[in-house]
Amino acid sequence: MHGEYKMPGGKLVVIDLDVHDGRLAKVQLSGDFFLEPDSALHRINAALDGQPADAGEATLANALRAALSPDVMMYGVSPEAIAVAVGRALHRGSEA
Amino acid sequence: MRTDWRDHDWQLIHTIPQSPALHMALDDVLTHEVGADRRAPTLRIWEWAAPAVVIGRFQSLRNEVDAAAAQRHGIEVVRRVSGGGAMFIEPGNTITYSIYAPLSLIKGMSFQEAYAFLDAWVLQALGELGIKAWYQPLNDITSAGGKIAGAAQTHRGGAVLHHVTMAYDIDAAKMLDVLRIGREKLSDKGTASAAKRVDPLRSQTGLPREAVIEHMIATFRRLHGLADGSLQADELAAAEAMAQGKFASAAWLADVP
Repeated sequence: MHGEYKMPGGKLVVIDLDVHDGRLAKVQLSGDFFLEPDSALHRINAALDGQPADAGEATLANALRAALSPDVMMYGVSPEAIAVAVGRALHRGSEA
Repeated sequence: MRTDWRDHDWQLIHTIPQSPALHMALDDVLTHEVGADRRAPTLRIWEWAAPAVVIGRFQSLRNEVDAAAAQRHGIEVVRRVSGGGAMFIEPGNTITYSIYAPLSLIKGMSFQEAYAFLDAWVLQALGELGIKAWYQPLNDITSAGGKIAGAAQTHRGGAVLHHVTMAYDIDAAKMLDVLRIGREKLSDKGTASAAKRVDPLRSQTGLPREAVIEHMIATFRRLHGLADGSLQADELAAAEAMAQGKFASAAWLADVP
């Protein structure tokens, strides 16, 4: 399943994922945004893996904020934008 | 403490053309060397030995690049260390440069401020060549004649890498054949068939690429000071090893599959 979201004032945020037994699996974030340090990408994927598929965007954004240490810097992307892209992947997945 | 451009002894590196993977590795090595205070802050102008697609650190390889088309055109695909979007490069068709600076130069600045600050000399140089250009947040340089350049930054150790690719005269059809996102973006705007060349620098200056580069170097030198420098043997050796290792590896290229 594939979802894309152009964050207003930011960059393109893309999510590819599967759903297994009602939970997110094989979550892959990508896009033309900026993240420091770059290892944060894998931490974000790991934080989303296993979340309930019906968790909702606010819950997912909170889970991301909790998983990321304060020294992670985001430019053109945010926990909220990533959660929106997850939502789009889930709801448009059948078309992708 | 914040430093100013003139607090540093800027060095210029402008060598013979080098391979795409070596360019990726040189950015990695030189950022590290400036961050460790073993090299003075540096401006590097890139010359390309071969065509390339350079994807951003966080871009999906398969979402961005049509691998079969890239192979058909003999275009090497590499992943760089910084975020941002894909670049389509053919030798002589773009102007690419890197700035390796201590973080003190942008201390206290927001990302947005740091991008505009590190490219202010370029806007000045373009203005002197008759192009009214401005910064388009987050990371583009644009003009009345369309987008000119895209910038990307990353922080490593005590240094910031700021690199920019400017469109001099790009074959739009070939670019759209190879880049998937470009194809979709442009088809949305209905301009895919209209633009055969993306040539904001060539068409707006009427100058050869070399003359534009020469004026950019002269502008940097006048504003910030710039001595002619060179790659050290150990820097080149480290970069060549990294180009053949990390940057040529499938693991790095497909780190975001």
